[in-house]
Amino acid sequence: MAADVKPFIGSKASPHQESEAEELRKEHLMLDPMPRDEMNQMVMEAMTTTTRKWWAWVIGLGLAVAVLLFGAWGYMIATGMGVAGIRRPVYWGIFIVTFVFWIGISHAGTFVSAILRVFKAEFRRPFTRAAELMTTFGLAAGALYPLIHLGRVWVFYWMVPYPNARWLWPNFRSALVWDFLAITTYLLSSTIYLFLPLIPDMAMARDRSTGWRHFIYKLLALGWRGTEAEWFRLRKAISIFAFAIIPVMFSVHTIVSWDFAVSMVSGWQSSIFGPYFIIGAILSGISAVVTILYILRSTMKNMDYFIRKEHFDALGKLILIFSMSWAYFFFNEYILAWYGGDEALKQVLTLHATGPSAWVWYTMLICNVAIPWLFLWNKKVRRTPWLMFIITLLVNVGMYAERYTIIPLTLGHQRSPFDWGIYNPTIIEVSIALGTLCLFIFLYLIASRIIPLVPVWEVQEGQMSHTLRKIGKTEIPSVTELE
Amino acid sequence: METNVRMILFKEDQVDQASEAIETLHHHGISDKDISVISGVPFSEKILGRPMSWTRVPQIAVAGALFGFIIAMLLNFLVPNLYKLSVGGMPLTPIPTSIVVTFELTMLGLLISTFLGVFIEMLSPSFGPKGYHPKISDGYIGILFNCPIHADEDTCFELQDLGAEIVDVAEVKQP
Amino acid sequence: MTELLAKEAQDEKWGMVIDLDICSGCQACVTACSMENNIPFVGEDEMAYGRGMQWMRIRRYWEGEYPDVMPDHQPMLCQQCGSAPCEPVCPVFATLHSEVEKINLQVYNRCIGTRYCAINCPYQARTFNWFDYEIPAPMNSYLNPDVTVRRRGVMEKCTFCVQRIVKGRQQASAEGREMEDGDVTPACAQACPTDAITFGNLSDPESRVSKMVRSDRAYKELENLGTEPRVTYLKGGKSYGG
Repeated sequence: MAADVKPFIGSKASPHQESEAEELRKEHLMLDPMPRDEMNQMVMEAMTTTTRKWWAWVIGLGLAVAVLLFGAWGYMIATGMGVAGIRRPVYWGIFIVTFVFWIGISHAGTFVSAILRVFKAEFRRPFTRAAELMTTFGLAAGALYPLIHLGRVWVFYWMVPYPNARWLWPNFRSALVWDFLAITTYLLSSTIYLFLPLIPDMAMARDRSTGWRHFIYKLLALGWRGTEAEWFRLRKAISIFAFAIIPVMFSVHTIVSWDFAVSMVSGWQSSIFGPYFIIGAILSGISAVVTILYILRSTMKNMDYFIRKEHFDALGKLILIFSMSWAYFFFNEYILAWYGGDEALKQVLTLHATGPSAWVWYTMLICNVAIPWLFLWNKKVRRTPWLMFIITLLVNVGMYAERYTIIPLTLGHQRSPFDWGIYNPTIIEVSIALGTLCLFIFLYLIASRIIPLVPVWEVQEGQMSHTLRKIGKTEIPSVTELE
Repeated sequence: METNVRMILFKEDQVDQASEAIETLHHHGISDKDISVISGVPFSEKILGRPMSWTRVPQIAVAGALFGFIIAMLLNFLVPNLYKLSVGGMPLTPIPTSIVVTFELTMLGLLISTFLGVFIEMLSPSFGPKGYHPKISDGYIGILFNCPIHADEDTCFELQDLGAEIVDVAEVKQP
Repeated sequence: MTELLAKEAQDEKWGMVIDLDICSGCQACVTACSMENNIPFVGEDEMAYGRGMQWMRIRRYWEGEYPDVMPDHQPMLCQQCGSAPCEPVCPVFATLHSEVEKINLQVYNRCIGTRYCAINCPYQARTFNWFDYEIPAPMNSYLNPDVTVRRRGVMEKCTFCVQRIVKGRQQASAEGREMEDGDVTPACAQACPTDAITFGNLSDPESRVSKMVRSDRAYKELENLGTEPRVTYLKGGKSYGG
């Protein structure tokens, strides 16, 4: 607690101890408490400051979304799927690759704010919301693809289970219907999970804003006052969510992987696909969190107080662990397929490593395995934000390459050599994929100026429970459990 | 007996004083149901020496999960029988595939109803004295109590001695 | 009438036998199929890119080392699998098993174009309408009124000329008799100059197809996948038939 730290450091401490404590406070956000009103002020300032550059980005990205995503998509709807590069053996291309990519990114928020919350990892506090936003917007971008890739998108609602005049319900034996259910569940629940811890912060923003902002925040704060009953209820709901959303998150990417694994395509039918995809998704999700944290820290006001090197350090360790787990699953899947002696499968694996698109496969291995392993063991690297930015960006390039290898490159080389084919993405496909990236950044930019990106009450709660405690000759950070 | 709604504020690091203030109020014959504590950070009731608050969110959540489960069962085992279509040598209502649908819809019911529970409870009227002050979101701990008019002055002085900031009655209003 | 249909329904299990030893790879079946089923032409470039709409394709492999090479032809069409991998993956029941003919149906106006069925077909027998194809005049006058024309964004595939099966059944019932072997001939079998394609009812042990299926030259494509194809290929060793 703030009060406990001060008298302790005050009079009696030796200069040596004082500098040590100073170091610790500089290092850890939780040990560097700041009065709540100042913290509120900082967050409000970060949220309400819109520079000319920010407007330029918003307008530019808005235009890009309109042209690259909706323009290209509209053209494709009006003309036909043929404007994409997909062809006979490769019926799924960039669209499904990007779909899996975004669903993977969306695992970031849940991982950070549910798993780390359940295990009480204190470093999560300042950036849970930033990560949850990624989940929601990643899903928003990803959930477009099941629509985009439909040949007749105008009848997409035939997949929705409701009593209808056609007397026909969807086929609950199809993995695509599971996909639909899982993504709906995840999208709704992650949006709610973003909203619940936001209520007290909305009340905070309501108390310090006027005009349209006040109106919105007042509406969203649901009349929050902060009574004991309200806090109790909120904590209950958050803990129900934290525990329940973890299996939902696992199920979502498992079901996405089942789209492939339940099929007869050689190279897809694998019982390890579920966990393999989940690990890959978490790897790419956490990497994307680091990428975004770097951008937030360097572009938004006051963020360097909340996001510190310790956070890059902690996330860097997680990335290293997940990169190793990913390599483990990859090797597991690879060696058994290779050893098994199924001729079609062997052909596929050979093609990945030596075919005309082998560079994709090597990009995947270099970015997902070589780069994290070579750099992230080093504390100095993990604590250098711009280096982490580059590394995490590369990890996501690698994860995109992984999905590209798994989907079009595997499909192009199936059992009958007569049907082998090479897939060339067209400009329309690339444009739509870029368009959803622009959509994601666009939504994030807007949201970063509308909702408080730092959960202030959670940070303050954390700072109150952290103290420096003297043990022997030195001071050690210690945590009290307030709950 | 006529009462005034009074509000006092403590800084976030005056938790000890706040809990003492609540005890003082008890001494003055103001019962727990005439007191409500509002804060910018959650404090457990034990810290402040208050009775446990209650919520029905978990029960609502379980009810929602059950609802989702029933819907899933209908979709899995009733709906395919309405219009029988056979595919790929699979039975009409296979158990393995139904597990997936059941899981997703049960979780959907659970999570949505948790939110609805919070939403409904937030909008329902609450017990205890009403009032709010913007300083709460600056981390202050506010204690609202129904103070009998005759005891007004004395109580306030006593609380002031504990370091409380007395909020003017006119400023105590809903957000 | 309905009883008759129900009785026949139990008896019908359509199948095809293709004798690869006498197939010359002339593509007459491909052409006949396209004419019968209103299959559009996609043009050279699209065809070369692998977007041909043919429901029946001649897979041509080369055997031997250059210059001693021999072409090897295999007409490939929907195998009407008994346990079809394409069916359960469709979210909207656009492809499903017919209880009467025991074939694999494709319902065009129910299809939303996920293309999952095509991915899951190990025979790559399905074709997708990448665009709205216009059939140039005067060919549009040849459109078969018994077969739906398809628009962009839907999947399609060989139906074993289901319209001819229905016609054959109606013909027989109008004449007050049971269906006989040879009542139904799909377009490909009809056009085959070497009579390499035989079509008939597999549930009748005396039909021509049933007899040919029992031949020791018979094999089924990718039989190990357990899809139970209804198309049987006949192929002997190189010494066979000179």
